[in-house]
Amino acid sequence: MIQQLIINGIIVGSIYALIASGFSIIYRTIKFFHLAHGVVFATGAYFAYTFFILFDINPLISFFLSIALASLLGIAIDRFIYYPLRKNNAPNLVYLIASFGVFIFLQNLIQLIFGAQILTLRTGPIKVGHCILGAVITDIQILIIAVSLLLVLLTWLFIQKSKLGKAIRAVSDDPIGARVVGINSEKVILTAFALGSALAGVAGILISLETNLEPTMGMNAILKGIIALIVGGIGSIPGTLFGGLFLGLAENLGIWKIQAGWKDAIAFAILIIFLLLKPSGIMGVKTKKEQI
Amino acid sequence: MEYLIHILIITGIYIILTLSLNLIVGFTGLAALGHIAFAAIGAYTSSLLALNFGISPWIGLLLGAFLASILGLIVGYPSLRLKGDYLALATFGLGIIVYSIAKNWVSLTRGPMGLPGIPPFSIFNYEISSVWSYLILVSIFVFITYVAIRNITNSPFGRVLKGIREDEIATLAMGKNINKYKLIVFVVGAFFAGIAGSLYAHYITFIDPSSFTVMESIVVLLMVVFGGMASLKGSFVGASVLIIFPELLRFLGMPNSVAAPLRQMIYGLLLIILMILRPQGLMGKFRFK
Repeated sequence: MIQQLIINGIIVGSIYALIASGFSIIYRTIKFFHLAHGVVFATGAYFAYTFFILFDINPLISFFLSIALASLLGIAIDRFIYYPLRKNNAPNLVYLIASFGVFIFLQNLIQLIFGAQILTLRTGPIKVGHCILGAVITDIQILIIAVSLLLVLLTWLFIQKSKLGKAIRAVSDDPIGARVVGINSEKVILTAFALGSALAGVAGILISLETNLEPTMGMNAILKGIIALIVGGIGSIPGTLFGGLFLGLAENLGIWKIQAGWKDAIAFAILIIFLLLKPSGIMGVKTKKEQI
Repeated sequence: MEYLIHILIITGIYIILTLSLNLIVGFTGLAALGHIAFAAIGAYTSSLLALNFGISPWIGLLLGAFLASILGLIVGYPSLRLKGDYLALATFGLGIIVYSIAKNWVSLTRGPMGLPGIPPFSIFNYEISSVWSYLILVSIFVFITYVAIRNITNSPFGRVLKGIREDEIATLAMGKNINKYKLIVFVVGAFFAGIAGSLYAHYITFIDPSSFTVMESIVVLLMVVFGGMASLKGSFVGASVLIIFPELLRFLGMPNSVAAPLRQMIYGLLLIILMILRPQGLMGKFRFK
């Protein structure tokens, strides 16, 4: 029983970490909570459903197309909504509310097109999983963990080693300084949205291989992603991985003793405890008090 | 006609919510995203007291508002340490926790099955159950809320709130205990939201957690922002327009499966357009900084 809960925790935890990594790349450049990231995640899943199930296209091609479209959606949100706000020098809360607006709009557009019922990406019967240390894990679940962890690792390498990653860190630390040394911050923001949204698309597809699709799936995903980010520490990809796994395990081990309906309450209680006691997270860079 | 009065009653209840949230968000500048949680506490308290112990809804209304204020104190506490986005996130989280409790504490709240048969208010054996009499009752409470919030914001106390909004450190330097002010604002805002919740419960006579989702909090925030930050008249306009306008969609003969998401899409689009073109709202006096 406990082994199974740990495995389940690692599965959802790695997806949370993937969502949080994509969110983190974007957050570094724009410094506000891009909540619409959650709906990009859901859109990725619904594109995959459209291509793979409705149009019956080869899964690899349809997943690749969906990820590309999710990435484009992220770029479009930045261009058409956040860019005008940046020109207005809007404060953070205006971004937050606008982001909510995008979220509500797109989520309900999905509901209008696909209906409120749950859909699935699975075809054929569910395979019996392997037994590892008394827990059952299916091939798809192993794939989810492997892809998520690999992508989080690649994101980390990208941020730390690549030239663009360095540009993202530069814009994050000091936007004016970055401009002085000739970094085009708009281009960096665009890259961050393209990459972060692609990761959200991957996460959306992965989670719909394991569970179901529903129009409201984005809200839960983005909130859990943000919690993972804050628990792990904003500005640290390894921290994000830790935060995601911690949250996934806490939710799943929590329902060992209490009912499953309390999952969200557990996650938000963790968030509030961290916000009040350790807002910089486990591995985060120490933030100045004014920034919180 | 009855339908029209019904819409007016719902509008009145939302005006109370919007006015009380405007005190927190518009006048004091604190980003609170869990306002409907206070209404949930008000609604559940007075309904449960009336159903389980036969306590008069009037006492229930006051007790509900009182309990909501206590929750306001708890929600207000993070606001002493967190700012902006982080406060928004924390209050959002508390909203989800309250919703979770309403949904999962089945032995108390009956969870998703909801509480049916909530008795209406009554004065001297006269039951306020017709829509006309309820409209009068709600109007009285809208008036009380309006006068209370107007007096608070026009007083020296209200000037301190605006001071906190404009420049917290300067207000602190003037010798004002800003922590105390922030907590009082949350307590007062929660009190009136609790009343609104209770009014809703005894009018509809049925409540379940789905009336108190975080989405409702966002709708109330939209009403504040749309009508105008720190504008009481704006709150009336915001709540009225955003309740009545989507109702018109019904007359276009759309099935609910289309009308419901379309209504939300309009809300979303309005939020985006407002933030780009006029972030302080229609009649707003202040912009977020």
